[in-house]
Amino acid sequence: MARKKEFTAGRKHRTGVFDVVNYIVFIIIGLIILIPIWKVLSDSFNAVGVYKFQLFPNKFTLDGYKVIMTTQKLYRPFVNSVVTTVIGTLLGLVMSTLGGYVLAQKDMPGRTALAYFLLFTMIFSGGMIPEYLVMKKLHLVNSMWILVVKHGMNVYNLVLMRNFFEGIPGSLFEAAKIDGCTPMGIFFKIVLPLSKAALASIGLMYAVTVWNDYSTVQIYITNRDQVNFQYILRVMVMDGDTPVTQYSVSQTTLYYAAIICAILPFMLLYPFLQKYFVKGVNVGAVKE
Amino acid sequence: MITTHMLVIPCGHPCARVPTQPLNGVILIAKKQKLTTSTGRPIQKKPLGKRIWNNRGFYLMFIPVLVYVLIVYYWPMLGIRYSFYDYTLKKIEFVGLKHFQKMFSEKEFWKAFTNTLVLSVTKLFITTAASVIVSVFINEMANLFAKKVLQTVIYLPHFMSWTVTAAIFTLFLSTSSTGFVNETLKNWGWIKESIDFMHETSLWRIVYYLVNIWKETGWGTVIFLATLAGINPELYEAADIDGATRLQRIWYVTVPELANTIIIVLILNLAKVLNLFESVFVMYNNRVFEVSDVISTYIYRKTFLTAIPNYGYTTAVGLFKSLVGCFLVIVCNWASKKVRGRGIL
Repeated sequence: MARKKEFTAGRKHRTGVFDVVNYIVFIIIGLIILIPIWKVLSDSFNAVGVYKFQLFPNKFTLDGYKVIMTTQKLYRPFVNSVVTTVIGTLLGLVMSTLGGYVLAQKDMPGRTALAYFLLFTMIFSGGMIPEYLVMKKLHLVNSMWILVVKHGMNVYNLVLMRNFFEGIPGSLFEAAKIDGCTPMGIFFKIVLPLSKAALASIGLMYAVTVWNDYSTVQIYITNRDQVNFQYILRVMVMDGDTPVTQYSVSQTTLYYAAIICAILPFMLLYPFLQKYFVKGVNVGAVKE
Repeated sequence: MITTHMLVIPCGHPCARVPTQPLNGVILIAKKQKLTTSTGRPIQKKPLGKRIWNNRGFYLMFIPVLVYVLIVYYWPMLGIRYSFYDYTLKKIEFVGLKHFQKMFSEKEFWKAFTNTLVLSVTKLFITTAASVIVSVFINEMANLFAKKVLQTVIYLPHFMSWTVTAAIFTLFLSTSSTGFVNETLKNWGWIKESIDFMHETSLWRIVYYLVNIWKETGWGTVIFLATLAGINPELYEAADIDGATRLQRIWYVTVPELANTIIIVLILNLAKVLNLFESVFVMYNNRVFEVSDVISTYIYRKTFLTAIPNYGYTTAVGLFKSLVGCFLVIVCNWASKKVRGRGIL
């Protein structure tokens, strides 16, 4: 698809009062968003708790991070978060690719029935308590694998994948078939290499969901060995229940360091992968 | 050459106006189309048995998804029967509609129900309005680099979890000497006493809306900016020739072009107004239940923070929520078909 040159309404005009005001307003908006994040970052390095309007630490320290890295009750949840996010994302990708590809088969009998089968789950659900009772029967309560199971597949993402597959020109498949490629061969040799961008977007959507999930942990897990980092952050900041006995660092500094750890993975990836993050919304958007 | 999926969008159709419109909702069910040759002559399909056999590989591929969906989504649906039972640790006993009678006579439940609607709908309208305004003015920016940087910045909070957002704002707004906002305001002499933003019934909702605006406005602009990118530049040229000022161009060209998308965004989100849980759960506390308790948090508390929970009762509340949600989806689907000729399902 040829990329259309981006059109901006303001382009043809000379810079006037309107533009100046516009830029100033947007600088303010940008600051409103960035200042809280910056303040958290700077205070996580701040050894002396001064919480007035100051944007740089007055005494630099890494103790907050050191405490997190050396306290088992704090780094264990972080490891849990990483493990569940990686496995959950992989599972989610496999499932939505498989399902999406099958539903994209135009001449497969029963395709509409299968689509309705999935669609129904988006309209109606058993609700929090029946789900809890089922997971209890499956012995997933109090285990971090509940995060993987709950986010193992998202019907919406599956549909996005299907829409993407349907956008691949059919002539490619025909050509491959004529050259003697099996349906499985077509999937691995043609479809998957073509869908790298879509896989990246949807993988990121899964990763963000699993990493950021707090309520599932709150509902299903009480064992502190199995919780994820979001949970431990919440318990520390909101309930004041810090699992550290000896403080070499001010409590607030520790909280801020924990917040930074909780957002670090995506903040590092975000500037580079922003287009994939955003594309998730647009995958399968244009369907002609 | 056989084409099975050629779909022509009529010119006057709302979809045809904005070719890059990103908001499709979910198109899951494709319309049945007759298989025809390029000359329009219908072609005979192969017999069903043969087609099933030919696609056997695909059925195998679908098995993991099928099993997953059955276990994770359909099995819990069987549990709905418990809403007609007393289900405690000791016994499961049929009680008919008792739980529903109890629910509808409970003041706390109606409080939660109205709170859900108020919080959800207000939040939806406020953040949508903010997103529209921000995207209209981003669209006026001439410098593409500045535009890209700004977009990167305003999308950022969306990817932070609700836990992190709540933690940041709880720490900033706290009344202790570590509360950044209160200390700053006192320092500047604007207030004398610390304000307890998170525990004050009159302030909690305002704080909740503001945090939502901070977190979601930027992400909301993605959809509107995509629509704006699809506006025909000739419209602006025509406006220029007619001597329109910048603000007039915004008001008479940009805003009307967005109207359709705004309605669709509202419809899509109205379908899920009852699904309010995590954002409230991480920010509320027992001092502000009055204004913040929503259905899901009500279910949560009645089940997991009660000494002897009756799963039957909370399942009944959940069933009520699911049914109302289902009804809303169907209504919104119908509304969406009216507006843009295509449902959200």
